[in-house]
Amino acid sequence: MIIEAHDLRKTFIAKRGRGKTEEVQAVQGIDLSVEAGEIFAALGPNGAGKTTTVRMLATFTAPTSGTARVAGFDVVKDAAKVRENIGYVSQAGGVDDNSPGLDSLMLAARLSGMSRKQARTRADELLEAFSLTEIANRPAKTLSGGQKRRFALAIGLVTKPPLVFLDEPTTGLDPQNRANLWDEVRDLRAQGTSVLLTTHYLDEADALCDRLVIIDHGKIVAEGTPTELKKEVAGDVVTLKLKGVAEAKELLAAQDYIKEVRAEEDTLRAYLDDGEHGLPHLLRALEERNLTLDSISLDRATLDDVFLRHTGRSLRDAA
Amino acid sequence: MLRHTALFLGYELRFLLRNPIWPVFGILQPVMYLIFFAPLLGSTTPSGSMPEVLAMFTPGSMMMIALFGSLFAGFGLINETRNGVLERLAVSPAWPPAIILGRVAKDMLVLVLQAILVMGVAVLMGLRIGLVSFLIMLALMAMTGLFAASLSYGLALALRDENGMSQIVQFFAMPLTLIAGLFLPVSLGPEWLQTAAKFNPLYYGVEAGRALFRDDLSDSTIPTAFGLLAVLAVITLVWSMRSLRKMAG
Repeated sequence: MIIEAHDLRKTFIAKRGRGKTEEVQAVQGIDLSVEAGEIFAALGPNGAGKTTTVRMLATFTAPTSGTARVAGFDVVKDAAKVRENIGYVSQAGGVDDNSPGLDSLMLAARLSGMSRKQARTRADELLEAFSLTEIANRPAKTLSGGQKRRFALAIGLVTKPPLVFLDEPTTGLDPQNRANLWDEVRDLRAQGTSVLLTTHYLDEADALCDRLVIIDHGKIVAEGTPTELKKEVAGDVVTLKLKGVAEAKELLAAQDYIKEVRAEEDTLRAYLDDGEHGLPHLLRALEERNLTLDSISLDRATLDDVFLRHTGRSLRDAA
Repeated sequence: MLRHTALFLGYELRFLLRNPIWPVFGILQPVMYLIFFAPLLGSTTPSGSMPEVLAMFTPGSMMMIALFGSLFAGFGLINETRNGVLERLAVSPAWPPAIILGRVAKDMLVLVLQAILVMGVAVLMGLRIGLVSFLIMLALMAMTGLFAASLSYGLALALRDENGMSQIVQFFAMPLTLIAGLFLPVSLGPEWLQTAAKFNPLYYGVEAGRALFRDDLSDSTIPTAFGLLAVLAVITLVWSMRSLRKMAG
């Protein structure tokens, strides 16, 4: 296990003006185990406690209670050892705007103990791998979001750490840059690097990770591989818009080929394992009751359906 | 540990060398004071000669760079609390104090270079100063820079807000300037002002500078200034390290 966390908790004391304070329980008891070589995702809406969790594992924030071992070392007692074994790319990126990316890269390399020559070799390798060679000497503030993000990633990898933390690595990137970054993360796995990433994008967790946890309100609500989690819900989901949602819900819930029905305002979501064959039955049942549809669609269940099942709301609404 | 401090210093200096113009702006203010204000001070010294006026006024104008330059050094750091740079460094193998010390060392170096330029202008205008006094004055400037920059980084990390920081620095800079007798020695003023000045660390810096420029190396304000600034620098450095640690919550 490259990460093992038990009952991690973090409570912040937030100032609320006029000397008043309020306790914010950002993380309320998280257990995690990540195997070496895995891409592991923490999926959840903004404010779920993902960043705080990663910060505790990366030794930035001290946990209020609970324990965690990262790369075999305790994050509180052996923080220095943990730091030698991780790369950390924060949500903000951490690339100094005023200096060229190469300078930040060199500084990070040399701080880890490399000689100037070793640092230069390693920096050149990374510049090459992330197609940054031509812009290496430009002040980082003149770079695009995608270029800056690649520099952030390169800086995080400069020590060839066995484990990298990527906090919301693709937030703010355009689809092209996002796809490229996904490839770069997959390359990391191919080289044997373990990755813990946080994201609020369902498709990102689905496409990229080997295993994931879904975090909401500082707690883990589900854990597994994307396939396992989706299977738990059902293979397919039929989304219907119609009037008379309550009646339709009751009707569909009584059908034996439908596993579960959820209603949201004028929308019904029916979960079933075999959508292609279930759909005609479903339509017939509605017709017999004279329920008129506004629209209908059949999709494969996504991690959003998993999220909905565990939290009672859609991740799209939760953020 | 020293290696990490040196690495951070090197990084900061590279930045400075790419933008060498800003520290030059920093000395324009004291140089203008020397040129346009010092000549008005003829009646405040016994003989009223220019070298005498400059010996009285130059140390104050040098402290001014420390006050209006080094005290603002922390502004850049506020941005780094948000753009993730400090966060990244905090979980890197870097020795944490080096993050601050490297920057402070850069500010000290800048201040010493600025001090040399200002003294150069004063010498061109007629100031006479011995080599030993000159070197001790540079050390005193380095010490002032150590304190002022550490204070600035401490403030930046504690407040993490540009608006709040500029208000506080401005709020303190003015009374500190006046009560230190930066422009005119407080000994010209009433008793209460002289008492008030004793609580201002800058006062000792200015007085020590004046003693040095008189070549009066045995003046008690010199060791007092060094000692006081050293103690204050240590306190503010410890404070800024603490603020750095507390950034994580």
